[in-house]
Amino acid sequence: MARQWTMRRVTPLRGIWRYAAAFALVVGSTLVAEAVYRTFETDRLSMVFLAGVLITAVTLGSGPAYFAAATAFIIYDIYLVEPRFTFTMNSAEDYLVLSVFLAVAMLTGRLAGRVREAQGRAEARARTAGALFRASEEFSSSDNEDAVRQALAQRIAEAGRGEAVVLHEGGSWSWPPDLVIPEVLTDIAARPAAAQREGGWRLRHLRADGVALGLAAWRVTPLDGRAADNPEDDERLVDVLVDMAGAAIARSRLAVERADMQARAQTEQLRNALLSSISHDLRTPLAAILASVTSLREFGDRFDAEVREDLTLTIQEEAERLNRFVANLLNMTKLESGALTFEGVPFGMAEVVGRVVQRVQRRAGARELVISMFPDDLAAQGDPILTEQALANVVENAVRFAPNGGRIEISGRSEDGRVVLDITDEGPGVPQADLPRIFEKFYRSSATSTNQQGTGLGLSITRGLVEAMGGAVVARARGDGRPGLVVSVILPGVLV
Amino acid sequence: MTSVLAHLLLVDDEQQILRALKPALAAAGYAVATAETGHEAMAYLAGEACDVVILDLGLPDMDGKAVISRIREWSETPILVLSARDLEHEKIAALDLGADDFINKPFAVGELLARIRAALRGRERRFSTHAVFKSGDLEVNFATRRVALQGYEVRLTPREYDLLKTLARYGGRVVTHRQLIAAVWGPTAQVDAQFVRVLVAQLRQKIEEEPSTPRILLTEPGVGYRLTPEDEA
Repeated sequence: MARQWTMRRVTPLRGIWRYAAAFALVVGSTLVAEAVYRTFETDRLSMVFLAGVLITAVTLGSGPAYFAAATAFIIYDIYLVEPRFTFTMNSAEDYLVLSVFLAVAMLTGRLAGRVREAQGRAEARARTAGALFRASEEFSSSDNEDAVRQALAQRIAEAGRGEAVVLHEGGSWSWPPDLVIPEVLTDIAARPAAAQREGGWRLRHLRADGVALGLAAWRVTPLDGRAADNPEDDERLVDVLVDMAGAAIARSRLAVERADMQARAQTEQLRNALLSSISHDLRTPLAAILASVTSLREFGDRFDAEVREDLTLTIQEEAERLNRFVANLLNMTKLESGALTFEGVPFGMAEVVGRVVQRVQRRAGARELVISMFPDDLAAQGDPILTEQALANVVENAVRFAPNGGRIEISGRSEDGRVVLDITDEGPGVPQADLPRIFEKFYRSSATSTNQQGTGLGLSITRGLVEAMGGAVVARARGDGRPGLVVSVILPGVLV
Repeated sequence: MTSVLAHLLLVDDEQQILRALKPALAAAGYAVATAETGHEAMAYLAGEACDVVILDLGLPDMDGKAVISRIREWSETPILVLSARDLEHEKIAALDLGADDFINKPFAVGELLARIRAALRGRERRFSTHAVFKSGDLEVNFATRRVALQGYEVRLTPREYDLLKTLARYGGRVVTHRQLIAAVWGPTAQVDAQFVRVLVAQLRQKIEEEPSTPRILLTEPGVGYRLTPEDEA
C-alpha cells in the first residue's frame, strides 16, 4: 500500500536536479526568444523570459525560481540587449527587468509553494483517513483478536513506511511476515513499562479498559532510506491505529464471552428441560400408583370387585410404565458412555413387532395400531430386546401425536439385504427442515405444546440403539399428501 | 352414603390419575366430574354447580395458572392445585392468582380428602362466623382473643396472636408468606419472609409439644404455613 501511495503522487525532483531543470527552462525560453526574434524581428522579448521564470516558480519552487530569474536576466542582457553579446548593467531598463524577474520569481514561488503544501496536506489527510477507514474495516471484520493484531502490524508498517511487530503473551505478529523480531522487543513486551522508544523502534502499548492487550513496535525501514514526509503525522496515525485495534480486541473478547454465556445458558436450559421432563414422567405414574394404593387401603372394602380390579390394573400398568421409562434412561446413559454391548443374533421381526403393538396398544386409547404388509419370515440381525425398545419408542411417539381415532401403520419389507420397517402416523407431521433433527436428544417438535409430556429422549434412544446394531433411522413426510410422519427403521438383514 | 357431600371437578389430562382418584372420591361421598383440558373445565364450571375444583397445573391446551385466573374472573369456587413438590414458584403464583390450596404430587388419597374438606370448610367460613378454632389440644377463641393448650391459657404477643389467628382463619389451608406478612405487619409492610420464620419459631415454642417436629403449625417449604385442621390433629 505504501508503494501505491508514492506511485500515485508525481515523484518530485530533488536537490541539484531542480536547478538543472530550471536552467533547462531558461535555455528553452532563450530558444523560443531566438525563434521569435528571427521570425518577427522584434527585440521586445523580455516577456518570453518572464514566462520561463513563471513556469519555473510554479513547478519547481522558490530556490530554482530565483536561480532562473538571475540566469534569465543574464542571458537576456547578453543576448538581446544592445550592445548584444556584452553584459551591461547601466540603463534603468536593465534594473527594471531584473527587479521584475526577481519579484515574479519570489511571489509566484511562494504562492506555488503554499499551494503545493496545501495539496500535500490534503493528500496526507486523505491518506490517513483512507488508512484508518481500511484498518477499521479490517479490524472489525477480524473474527479473533490475533487476526486484529496481525492486521494492526500490517497497517502500522504501511503507515510508518517500515516494518512493525505486535507482541502479546509470547506470540508475535509482524509485517513483513518474515521479519526477524529483535530479542529486546520480546523483553520489553514482557514488562509493563511504557517506554516510547527502544533502539530504532518506536513503541506503543495496546490497552482497553485498563487491560494490557499487547505491545506494538515499528520503525522506518533503513533500506527505504528517505525519512517520512511528516513523521509526526505518521505517529499520530499509529496512535489511532493502536487505539482502534485495542477497542477491536476488547470487542472481540466481549463477543467470545457472550457466545460462551449463551452456550452455557442453553446447556442450562436443556438440563432444566430434561430435569422437569424426567421428574414429570417419573411423578405421573408414581402419583397414579400412590393414589390407587391408598384408595384401596382406605376404601377397599367399600369398592366392588370391578373397581378394585381397575385400580390394581392401574398400579400394574403404571409400574410397567415406570419400568420402561427407567430402562430408557439407563439405555440412554449406556449409549452415551458407550457401555451398551449386545450379541447380534438372527431374530424374527414379526414377533418383535407383535410385542411392540401389544405393549403400546393399551395406551393407544382410541388410536388404531395396524400391522400391514408384513412378511412373516422377515428376519433381522441384532438384539431382539433392544430392537423392541427402539421400535416401541417410535410407535409411542406416533401414538402421542396421533389424534384420537387416528391410525398408526407398521409395515415391513426386505430391501437390498436389509430389513426396513415403516411406522406411519396421522399426526401433525414435522416441518421439512426439522426432519433430520427429530432424532436429536431433547428435540421436541414445534407442534408439541409446552405442556405435552415427553422428554424428547425416545427417538434419540431409538437412533442410538439402531445405529449400535449397524442400522439407521430416517424420517420423512407422508407420501400421500396427508399430514403425518413416516419413520423408517432400517436394520441389517440376516446373512445367508 | 346416600346424600352427596359436595360436587367436585377433577381437571387432569393424565387418564391414569383420573382412573385412580375417581373411585376413592366417590366412596368418600363426593360427586366427581372430570375434565382433561382447561377449556373443558371452564365450560363445565359455566354450566354446572361445583364446590371444589381440583386442578392439575400441566394441561395440554393452556397453562393451569391461566385457568385459575380465568375462573377467578367470575367464580369464587375453591380451587385445589395439584403440583410437583419442587415447583414452589408455580404454587406461589397459583395461590396469588386465587387458588385456595395445593397438594404435592404424588399424594395419598387421605391427604387429598383432608385438603378437600379444608377447602369446603374455608368456603363455609366465609358465610358464617366461627368464634372458636380447635386443632387437637389447641383452642383459639377469636371473640375473647384467648388461646388455650389443653385448657390452659397460653400468653401470646400481639404479633404471635395475629399470626395464629390468620392461620386459624384459613382452617387448614396453606397461607403464603406474603399473605401472612400482610395480615400481621399490614398490607404495605416491606418485611422479609425471614421475619415470618422467626415469629413462627417463637409461636411454636409456645404451642407445640416438640417445636422441632411441629404437629400443629406445619411448614410448606418455599410457600408458607398451614395449621393442622380442627378435626385431624
